[in-house]
Amino acid sequence: MSVALATALAILIPAAVSAISQAWATSSAMHAMSRQPEAADAMRGVLLIALAFMEALTLFAFVIAIVMSGKV
Amino acid sequence: MDQMNEVLPGLIRKVVFHIGPIPVTSTVVNTWVVMLVLFLLVFLIRRRGFEYKPNTSVQAIVEVIVTFFYSMIEQGWGPAGRKYMPLVGSFFTAIFFLNMSWFIPGFTSPTTDLMMTAALAVVAIVLVHAMGIRKKGFGGYVRHYITPTPIMLPMNILEEIIKPFSLAIRLFGNMFGESMVASIMFLLVPLLVPVPVMMLGLLLGTVQAFVFSILVVTYLATMVEGH
Repeated sequence: MSVALATALAILIPAAVSAISQAWATSSAMHAMSRQPEAADAMRGVLLIALAFMEALTLFAFVIAIVMSGKV
Repeated sequence: MDQMNEVLPGLIRKVVFHIGPIPVTSTVVNTWVVMLVLFLLVFLIRRRGFEYKPNTSVQAIVEVIVTFFYSMIEQGWGPAGRKYMPLVGSFFTAIFFLNMSWFIPGFTSPTTDLMMTAALAVVAIVLVHAMGIRKKGFGGYVRHYITPTPIMLPMNILEEIIKPFSLAIRLFGNMFGESMVASIMFLLVPLLVPVPVMMLGLLLGTVQAFVFSILVVTYLATMVEGH
C-alpha cells in the first residue's frame, strides 16, 4: 500500500511542478513574441529547448515510477 | 494491474533469433525495417540526379528539408555550424522515421526501447567529443574542462557525464510514455478515443526529433567553439 502511494506521488509531484514551470515559461515566451513578432523565430527555438529540459525532469521521475511500480 | 500485463509485453523488446551467441531483439529487427525504408527512399530520390536549378518536385521538397536543417543549425549555433548539417540532419531524419514507425499497425517503435535511445545518445556524444578534439587539439579540449576556473572541474566533468543520460532518457521517456498512454486508452475505450492521443504522438515524435538534433547542435557548438 505504501509503495503504491509512493509510486503515485513519485510521478504526481514532478509532473505537477514541471507543468507549472512549463506554463510559466510558455506564457512569458508568448508575451515576448506578441510584443516583438520579428524576434519570434529565435524565441521559438530557445523555448523548445527550455521546455525539453523541464520535460526531462518529469521523465526521470517517470522512469523511476516505472521501476517502482514493479515492486507494488 | 491485469490490464498493465496485457499492455507491457507489446512495448518491451523480446529476443527474435540468435546470431551465434548474440541475441537479436525485436528492436533491432524493427530498426532494420525502418533502415530499409530509408534506404529505398534515398535510392528513389537519388535515381534522377539533382541539377543546379530545381527541375522536379522531388528536388524542391528536398531543398525545403535541407533549408529547414540549416535554419535549425543557425538557431542553435550560427552560420559557422553549417558544415555539420549532414550529421545533424541524419540524426533528425533517423529519429523522425523511428518515431513515426509507431503508426505502422502491429509495429513497436524502436525508440520505445531504452537500449536504442542510449545507443543514439552514445553515438551523438562520442561524435561531439571527437569533433571537439579534432577542431581544438587535445590541449584545447582538456582546457575546456578547467574554464573559467579550475574549481569548475568537477562540475564540468559531471556535465559531460549527464549529457548522454539526459539525451537517452528524454527520447525514451517521451516515446514510451506516449505509446503506453495510447495503449491504455485503447484498453479502456477501443473506439475513436485513442485517436487524439495518437495525434499528440505525431506532434511529440516530430518535436522530440527536433529537440534531440538541436541539443546535438548546442553540444557541438560548446565543444567546437568553446564557452
